[in-house]
Amino acid sequence: MDIRGLLLANSEHHHAGGNQALDVPLATLDVTGKSALQRMAERLQQYGISQVSAVVESTGPSGIRNFGLPSDVTCVSVAPDRFWKVAESAFNDMAQSGAELVILVRLGAYAEADFEKLVQFHLDRKERVTQMAADEQKLEIFCISASRRNDAASLFRTQLAHCRSECPLLQHDGYLNQMASMRDLRQFAIDILTRQTQTCPAGKEIKPGVWSAPGAMIEKGARVLAPAFVGSLARIRSGAVITRCSSVERHAEVDCGTVIENSTVLPFSYVGAGLDLAHSVAGMGRIVNLHRDVTVEIVDPKLVASMSVGSGKRFMTSAAEALTYLPKLAFQGVFAAKKAEKVDLQATLRKTSPALGTAAGFETSACDTEASHKFPNMVVARRYGHQ
Amino acid sequence: MDINSRPVVVKRMPERLNSRTAREFLRNVRPFLAADRPQLVFDLSLVSQIDASGVEMLLKCMSEAHKRDGDVKLASLSDQAAVVLELTRTERLFEIYETSTEAARSFSGFLPNSMRQQLLHNKRSATQPIAA
Repeated sequence: MDIRGLLLANSEHHHAGGNQALDVPLATLDVTGKSALQRMAERLQQYGISQVSAVVESTGPSGIRNFGLPSDVTCVSVAPDRFWKVAESAFNDMAQSGAELVILVRLGAYAEADFEKLVQFHLDRKERVTQMAADEQKLEIFCISASRRNDAASLFRTQLAHCRSECPLLQHDGYLNQMASMRDLRQFAIDILTRQTQTCPAGKEIKPGVWSAPGAMIEKGARVLAPAFVGSLARIRSGAVITRCSSVERHAEVDCGTVIENSTVLPFSYVGAGLDLAHSVAGMGRIVNLHRDVTVEIVDPKLVASMSVGSGKRFMTSAAEALTYLPKLAFQGVFAAKKAEKVDLQATLRKTSPALGTAAGFETSACDTEASHKFPNMVVARRYGHQ
Repeated sequence: MDINSRPVVVKRMPERLNSRTAREFLRNVRPFLAADRPQLVFDLSLVSQIDASGVEMLLKCMSEAHKRDGDVKLASLSDQAAVVLELTRTERLFEIYETSTEAARSFSGFLPNSMRQQLLHNKRSATQPIAA
């Protein structure tokens, strides 16, 4: 039987929730190495649905974009105003190319659905459209007979709110996350790290409860306490502490002495030296503080900054930094009034003195790196474990 | 004995606290910080953006005040300011109050017990009628 999967990801869901902190669909944001969209595509493939397409809302230029999906998944990104039209035509293309059943999933909520059960239920009852539900709440997961184009059209034209014919409901009893706000995104990371989901962090378990993706760099002196995740090519600088279900996603950087506690650092984000990020989601120049339920735009790149997504630009920046490193050292050596004393991290951590820096009459530094020169007045005040 | 003779200065901080506005603000409050045992309250209710130099300026003010045996207290923190102060681990260095009035009152609130008794005694003797 030809069964295909169609994944939809747009941001209407969380606009309605009033907690739209970032300009992208939450389903496309990485959580412990993979987005909900990627995880759902892989789940469909695990159930033997080899032909999967995705339609993703994007404010950028329309066209084919990957969003980290497996190479055999066709993905189209479209502007918000054309989203539903493109979704409908993707369904029609599937029907025309011989699909008998289409599993339609809108993310939205991430549910670890049993697609085999859904298809069986649909076939047994000879229905046109079957929907999944969790308790009283309807989920946006459908099994549609591809020949019933009018039923499908009515679904797409009402943005999956109504169907022309009555949809029987199949109860979902697995893991469910609404993914309606950043709080849900954070909860998703916690659930994955504490293994309450079938899906796992996208990396290798380097010690119990600590996952690290290929290329992740954890410098000497940095501490990663379980459960935690460090994404591919992410960098945890010396003296940093990653703890309590925190997730540092790919290409992110946590600078010296910073404590990341129960937080997510989004991909391509930089968190400055000597900071304390707790109960938050940081990235794209913003911090979403979940305790205060507030989104704060951070303009100071010493605190939180976005790194370039383009690898060429990142390479150029690194090359420029490497080239200027020696001249900078030579300049400091010649013109510095007094050679800066090398800071012992352990001694610094032991200091209970707050971040007063020179204002209190002594020099403090989160650690002896370039970053500490950028933000010299910050020092680790909190101590973890035996540190 | 006059406990509250020293004034409490309440200053409202600007909406955007970057290096330029922080310098300007510091210039404005410097005369108050230079006084003997300065008592300052910074109202952060309007602050919508604060960067590292803004935080450093707050620390500098606190340090200056401490040098002269005074204090700087913060009041009416906006969410933005609170998040940045938490992020930079500086919120624990300041006394933070819901309102400027509470912050100003708090300067006379922490009295040693002996001084409190004396103050009470002074008040009583001032209200009692003098016997003929």
